Amino acid sequence: MSPDIYIETGTTLKWLLTTAWLLPLAGFLIEVFGGYWSGRKSRAAAFLAVGCIATGFVCSLIALLTWLDAADLNVSDIWQNPRAVAAATHEVSEATHVDHEHDADHAADAEHHGDHEHAVPAHSEEEHHGHAAHGNNPLKFAFNGTFYTLAKFGRIQITLDYYIDGLTVLMFTMVTFIATCIHLFAIGYMSDELTESYEDHQVHLPGGKHFHRPGRFYRFFSFLSLFCFAMLGLVLAGNIFQVFIFWELVGVCSYLLIGFYVERKSASTAANKAFIMNRVGDFGFLIGLMILWTWFGTFQFANTNPDQTGEQGLFQMVRTDAGAIETEGEGLNRVAYMQSATGEHLLGNDGQARRIPYWLLVVAGLGIFAGCVGKSAQFPLQTWLPDAMEGPTPVSALVHSATMVAAGVYLAGRFFPMFTPEVLLVIAYVGAITAFIGATIALVVTDIKQVLAYSTISQLGYMMLAIGVGGWLAGLFHLITHAFFKSLMFLCSGSVIHGCHHEQEMTKMGGLYKKMPITCWTMWIGVVAISGLAIPITLPYLGAISFSGFHSKDAIIASSLSFSTLNPTHSLLFFIPLITAGITAFYMHRMWFMTFFGKPKDHHVHDHAHESPWVMCGPLLALSFFAAFCAVGGESGPLANLLLTSEPTHVAGGVQAAGELGLTLPSHHEIHECHSQAGMMALLAALMGTVVAYLFYCKQAVDPALVKARFESAHRFLKSKWQFDEIYDSMFTRPVHVVAKWCTGFDREALDRFLHSCASLAVGIAQWDRKFDEAVVDRIVNVFGEVTYAAGRTLKGVQTGRLRQYVMFIAAAVVCLFVVLFLFLPR
Amino acid sequence: MESVGLSGYLIVGAVLFVCGVICMATKRNGIGILMGVELVLNGANLNFVAFSQHTHLGLDGQIASLFVIVLAAAEAAVALAIALNFYNNHLTIDVDRAADLKG
Amino acid sequence: MESLLFTIYALATCGAALGVVLSQNVARMAFWLVVSLGCVAGLFFMLNADFVGATQLLIYVGGTVVLLIFGVMLTASGPFNTIKSEPAEMIQAGVIGIALLAILIPTVTSVDWVGNRDTLSHAGVKSPSGEFNQQGEGGTSRHIGAALLGVRVDQADASAPSEAHEHHEADHDHGHEHAHGEEAHSHAAHDHAHAQVSETNQASGYLLPFEIISVHLLVVLIGASYLARAKRRVEQPTS
Repeated sequence: MSPDIYIETGTTLKWLLTTAWLLPLAGFLIEVFGGYWSGRKSRAAAFLAVGCIATGFVCSLIALLTWLDAADLNVSDIWQNPRAVAAATHEVSEATHVDHEHDADHAADAEHHGDHEHAVPAHSEEEHHGHAAHGNNPLKFAFNGTFYTLAKFGRIQITLDYYIDGLTVLMFTMVTFIATCIHLFAIGYMSDELTESYEDHQVHLPGGKHFHRPGRFYRFFSFLSLFCFAMLGLVLAGNIFQVFIFWELVGVCSYLLIGFYVERKSASTAANKAFIMNRVGDFGFLIGLMILWTWFGTFQFANTNPDQTGEQGLFQMVRTDAGAIETEGEGLNRVAYMQSATGEHLLGNDGQARRIPYWLLVVAGLGIFAGCVGKSAQFPLQTWLPDAMEGPTPVSALVHSATMVAAGVYLAGRFFPMFTPEVLLVIAYVGAITAFIGATIALVVTDIKQVLAYSTISQLGYMMLAIGVGGWLAGLFHLITHAFFKSLMFLCSGSVIHGCHHEQEMTKMGGLYKKMPITCWTMWIGVVAISGLAIPITLPYLGAISFSGFHSKDAIIASSLSFSTLNPTHSLLFFIPLITAGITAFYMHRMWFMTFFGKPKDHHVHDHAHESPWVMCGPLLALSFFAAFCAVGGESGPLANLLLTSEPTHVAGGVQAAGELGLTLPSHHEIHECHSQAGMMALLAALMGTVVAYLFYCKQAVDPALVKARFESAHRFLKSKWQFDEIYDSMFTRPVHVVAKWCTGFDREALDRFLHSCASLAVGIAQWDRKFDEAVVDRIVNVFGEVTYAAGRTLKGVQTGRLRQYVMFIAAAVVCLFVVLFLFLPR
Repeated sequence: MESVGLSGYLIVGAVLFVCGVICMATKRNGIGILMGVELVLNGANLNFVAFSQHTHLGLDGQIASLFVIVLAAAEAAVALAIALNFYNNHLTIDVDRAADLKG
Repeated sequence: MESLLFTIYALATCGAALGVVLSQNVARMAFWLVVSLGCVAGLFFMLNADFVGATQLLIYVGGTVVLLIFGVMLTASGPFNTIKSEPAEMIQAGVIGIALLAILIPTVTSVDWVGNRDTLSHAGVKSPSGEFNQQGEGGTSRHIGAALLGVRVDQADASAPSEAHEHHEADHDHGHEHAHGEEAHSHAAHDHAHAQVSETNQASGYLLPFEIISVHLLVVLIGASYLARAKRRVEQPTS
């Protein structure tokens, strides 16, 4: 790519994405300051929010096309490859029928291009090896620059940057699209709020009444707009500090939206819980930030701007052109050299090569990852996410499944070059544990949104695991696909809840498929996608016949399999996700069967159930389409290829025995080799889970209650969510209470008493002092005054004002003086 | 000349002085008080001149007495002006009426 | 003759002063005052102070007393106005006056004036020559005028040149020899050294005090005329 085109493309992308980013902010401001006048019954706020985010989506889509053009995925390639056309046109909803035409062509094309099926991954591998040969080349496809300089300290500065690569553009498109769908859905879902007096059935006032309040329709949409602004800012951010800013802003929006029904005790508690647990993670984030700032003096990810060559970003400093971390020494003495733009060691002011202790690099990585743990609800901070379901369902769909919680994964992927193998191992284990815990708890919960929440935790664990084992592509691939099908399922559950008049218990549903067919079958698409079911027939170009989730989950399993093959000590990292895949299929189908099939359990709910209006069903259909087809082609498909353009260099070739632990990360080639094997195993596990669920909840061949009774203790353990809340309660909350009680006691018994005695002592002294003052000091002063006054009174009589008397006095005084002198002076 | 001596003049001066003081102390008439002052000044003048003749003082005594005479004339002029003002304000010359300085 | 004259003048002076004290009428007081002051002038003449005596007559008897009589006329409500004092006050004043006299007269008489003068002369303090104004010679006015300018003919070596006469070399020399001759005629030569030592200290005249006095007099007269100017409005405040 020539520099001219580079700059031109970068500028175009910058303005498109900035527009998409700032539009929701404008919407938010208008809604916040103008919402009051629009009235409680006006839908204007919703239309404004939808307009903003939809315009943003259009901008993002144009940016995506620009990107495809620029990133050598040029039009001729797309025309030769029908899947690429699908990828490029998927986002345009009008193009649906066009895409179907291409689907129809697939069969014909398949024979002609069949021999290319295995060549494509090989080609991409070659391409990336090629990049590695001449520099840190994923950055070739990255545009960055500065919006505004916030502060400058000599040569170091804090800036508002943008950093645009394939991941950014893709995230923009994904976020804006899902947000648009969810905004539309929310118009229907939140229509209850379009009233002057909203009755909250879940807030019980004394006297058996319910709480009444004005509707908050416009407030909801203003919060959603603010959230979109924050999320897009996070994705567009060009430095880690800016990410942190928007990270916190996203957290605030999450707090506001979870606590939307603030009068409900559970909602406000959940909001507090989410906020506080995120702060725990953000503390680690801050530590990481401080280490990076201290040692590197910059927050920028990377600097690819031709105008600013020589200024290094973090990634360019840590990684060599080949993508390796250059280290020296052993143990704690190990240091990592910083790299300059010319491929040499970066020199400090004193002429010495700049180095950073390796362990600090690990700590920094762990710190940043701690932030991701909080935001993405990973073990051990996962407990806030299920509680966050207290928010309205569109919020759950947008914030707590598709975008905000994915921000942690996004950051882990974005910051991947800074992570040392040790950090990656931690990420992998945390992800695996989270995936397993989330899946097992989802087995037993009966609240439809809770199932989806735990499923979200589990899937986020999957993504983290993938990133941890070196499957960068797999993790972010799953991030995109998961966003589609999870938001779809959440909206479906929202539709169900809306249809059943805010009934969320699955035990009261059942047999709803006749009442709400669209919801039922769109949800089925999501369920199949997340379960990873597929027909195990490999078609040319299309790969296996399956929905998106199969491809991404397949990629994750393949990555972890190849990782555990290369590092046999960590083979647990393969078995856990495999088992979890089976469990996932089971609980998702359990949910689906329990909700839509079987006999109606609660006739009151069943009789009143109805299909949702079109404003809610439309987004379901649009999302279900993408949930099904967005990953078409699998890892050689357009979506994966797009992601590959922003993959860090060193991932493709794998890493041999790196870091203190001697971990080996699999290369693309190695992952590909065990792909089919892993895919079959995952598919088998998923099928088993599905069949079991079918037997349990649809055919009723086995009574779940019997199983529950059989494994009573395990059930109780899972029902209590692995006792996490209890553990935290006894580990943190209660000790804090005890310490607080001690502090209170100490305050009361020691400090207060001491202060009181001091005070009474002071009062006593003051009283004595007062007596002394009154008795001695005052009296002395008074005596002086009285004596002076009396003398004045006495002498006043002498001053008669009569001249002659004065003369007499003078004469008499002279006489007296003489007499005295004669008498007393010596002669 | 020597038979009279210094003492006689000094005694006359003392008598003049004492008469002036008594005059000042007893006269209620403002003019009378002024006359007392003149007497006192003349007593002092007599002493000056006597000392000028009989001691080392020489002409200094006479010159001092001349100054005293001149100052007495000035004093008399000012005092008379004050007395006239007093009279204008109180329509009397009785100094006992002027008790404004009474404490 | 000398003593007789002194006795007459002294008795007249004291009697007239007592008359001033004892008379209750202002006009009579003025008369007795004139008598007393005139007799003081006589005493001045007896002391060879003819210029001072003349001044006393001119200024006091001819000026000040006339001024007082004008005051009497201007302030008196009636021709023989009398403001009587209380007898108790008279007695008080008499007692104090007698006490003062009882102190002063013994003090005066108990001092040995002649002995003191001799002691001072031996201690080096210059005495008046005694010959600058011989009995009956008169003419002190010229000496006083010279003294005002700083030329002291009465001092033992008053011929010491003043700053003002330094350029009159011939006069200076003449005066000096003259004074020297007089000194040699009356006193021992050993006083000469003392006179030489202190001659610069005696060079101060009374010119500056004279000028100050004259300005003072002018200011006082202006002030007096200002104070005494007529104020008509006070006469009838109620009419």
